[in-house]
Amino acid sequence: MYEPTRPATEADRPESATRAVRLEATNHEGCYLGKTVAPKKFAAGKDTGFAFADLLFGLDLGNLPVFGAVFPDWRGHLDDVYFRPDMSTLVEWQPGVESVIGDYWLKDGTPVPICPRNLVRRMVDRLASHGFTATVAVEIEATVFEESIHEARSRGYRDLTPLGGSAGTAYHLAKSRDWVDYMNAVADRLDEVGIAWEAWSDEDAAGQVELNLAPGDPVTVGDAWARARQIMREVAFERGHTVTFMAKPTAGYGQASHINLSLQRDSVNAFHAEDGPSETMLHAIGGLLATIDGNTSLVLPQITSYRRLVDLTGPPVTRTWGISNKTTAVRAVCGNPTLSRIEYRLPGADANLYLALAGVLAGIIGGIEQKIDPPEQIADMAWCLPPGLGVERLPDTITKAAAALDADPVLRELLGDEFVDFWIASRKWEWMQFHTAGGDPSAELSEWESARYFELP
Amino acid sequence: MTATATAPLAGVAEVDIRIEDDASPIVRLIGRTLRDSARIGHTPETLQRSAGTVAIRSHDTPQAATIAFGPNGVDVSGGVVPEPDTTVTVDLNARFTPAADPTGDPDLARDVLQALTPPLPNWREAAQRFWDTARSLPGMPDVLIAVTEGPDGLEQAVIGAGSTQYLIAGDRDTLAGVFSGADDLLAVLFSGVLGIQGTLSQLSVMTGASWKVRYDV
Repeated sequence: MYEPTRPATEADRPESATRAVRLEATNHEGCYLGKTVAPKKFAAGKDTGFAFADLLFGLDLGNLPVFGAVFPDWRGHLDDVYFRPDMSTLVEWQPGVESVIGDYWLKDGTPVPICPRNLVRRMVDRLASHGFTATVAVEIEATVFEESIHEARSRGYRDLTPLGGSAGTAYHLAKSRDWVDYMNAVADRLDEVGIAWEAWSDEDAAGQVELNLAPGDPVTVGDAWARARQIMREVAFERGHTVTFMAKPTAGYGQASHINLSLQRDSVNAFHAEDGPSETMLHAIGGLLATIDGNTSLVLPQITSYRRLVDLTGPPVTRTWGISNKTTAVRAVCGNPTLSRIEYRLPGADANLYLALAGVLAGIIGGIEQKIDPPEQIADMAWCLPPGLGVERLPDTITKAAAALDADPVLRELLGDEFVDFWIASRKWEWMQFHTAGGDPSAELSEWESARYFELP
Repeated sequence: MTATATAPLAGVAEVDIRIEDDASPIVRLIGRTLRDSARIGHTPETLQRSAGTVAIRSHDTPQAATIAFGPNGVDVSGGVVPEPDTTVTVDLNARFTPAADPTGDPDLARDVLQALTPPLPNWREAAQRFWDTARSLPGMPDVLIAVTEGPDGLEQAVIGAGSTQYLIAGDRDTLAGVFSGADDLLAVLFSGVLGIQGTLSQLSVMTGASWKVRYDV
């Protein structure tokens, strides 16, 4: 389990050593946003909160206000919401600069209903009401390029040179030194900040890396994910390179963000049974598959996300599960009291992990509460299946997925109408922007997508 | 083609105008515009053609669509089919104004462009239709007030009743364009020829209402 190794407190770190404190949180898109405040300002506001314009939940990735639907009641005319630091996350980010992650709250002291971190916490609490805790892990996939971010920008983020060469194969060890040095530097920074990682490796595409963070509770892993991506960007910038978490940064391979998850009750893995999936695991899978169409909108958030959904290339394309079957959307790992878990294979690298975790936990909670049985597992390959077998394909556009979320009663009940309506409106805006502002649906990857998604989220 | 609508062609037989499933905005815009033409009996001879494919391209974005006329109606789909009978390049934010000479059959191009530019309704009628179409959207104000300068001074249409209101002011053509869906509310607003009074949230809702009448979404 990930625990910050430097839980800085005022007692163990003299105020005079700190020049600034960086406040950090993701917005709905997954952008890591914040501001840097002076130590005195931080001391004065850490209990009451720091004001941020509600626009951080109201702008799109092109910095335009998102229109098209009624605002939540708490949104006014660029009114304030309040960032409250979670002091358990305070770490020294670099000499003299501390970093703290927090959540957004309203003036009346209630959580901002669309704050991603708050949503995860809500699902964790709901799960706890059934006596369960969740342990999750995430794989971060990214592509690193030789060029600096300035060079990448000047080229429109296209025709870049993969770091480590173009000979692509997963797990390749004989990468050139620059690639290895980059990942070693990332690992060093993760260690310095106190983020536990388990492994990193070469991934399928040229320049692509995979970083596995250590398992932990959902909020903590979400925090580690946000910080690890920030570190991967900072290290790339420092070394004159660039890195992207686009779902598909080039017309080649895509990038995923698989979530592994197990439930514990009384410190025992509730997914394990001697003869295969436990009843709890089956209900969890049932809930995940019942909600997967709607959850697609959360875990494949952007236009480019859907370009990954190609049979035989890795991502799932059907509403399926199977034991030890990575061609399905939900892989069940069974037979071991420690390792029994679910792998939710749909999320793209561009997903906001907090929202993805909230959606996945909501699906599991729904399955457990309603005792939803899963369909029969798929023992065959779940790609390229002919029609007529009763196997449904997943939504393959941003609009279809948003419509599925709109119609999902389980996700609406658990995530809240306000969040669901807000999210659907934001996806409709994204769809409209793509089509009317320069995106090209007939291209394998349009310039509009590169410009919009390479650096954000 | 799963989304279909039979538009009663005024004075003549009905015509099926179908758009593809999960259609893009340009496909929706063309489909909605052709249905409007059918509804008011505009260019019936074009809408009832039994053959012909027309590619419609945006002059400043990659948006493109194909209109296919057939014996069973009109189909609108995204992208451009190989070798259409004619290709027209238009400004989608200027009511399908041609931005270049058409290629291919010039008569078909002329006829289709005419079908895509039905006469605008009177601004008051357009405001009423806008209201009827969008009033049920969550967050819509209770009252829509449209204001324009007439020959005898300011004229206004007040539609609906209740405590919250939204005011839109502009010349008659601008109001008719926005309320009928011929123009996009935000695009017109950014051009500076429209005045609005209401909350930021109401502007967001009105944007959605504009999409509903323009794109039928």
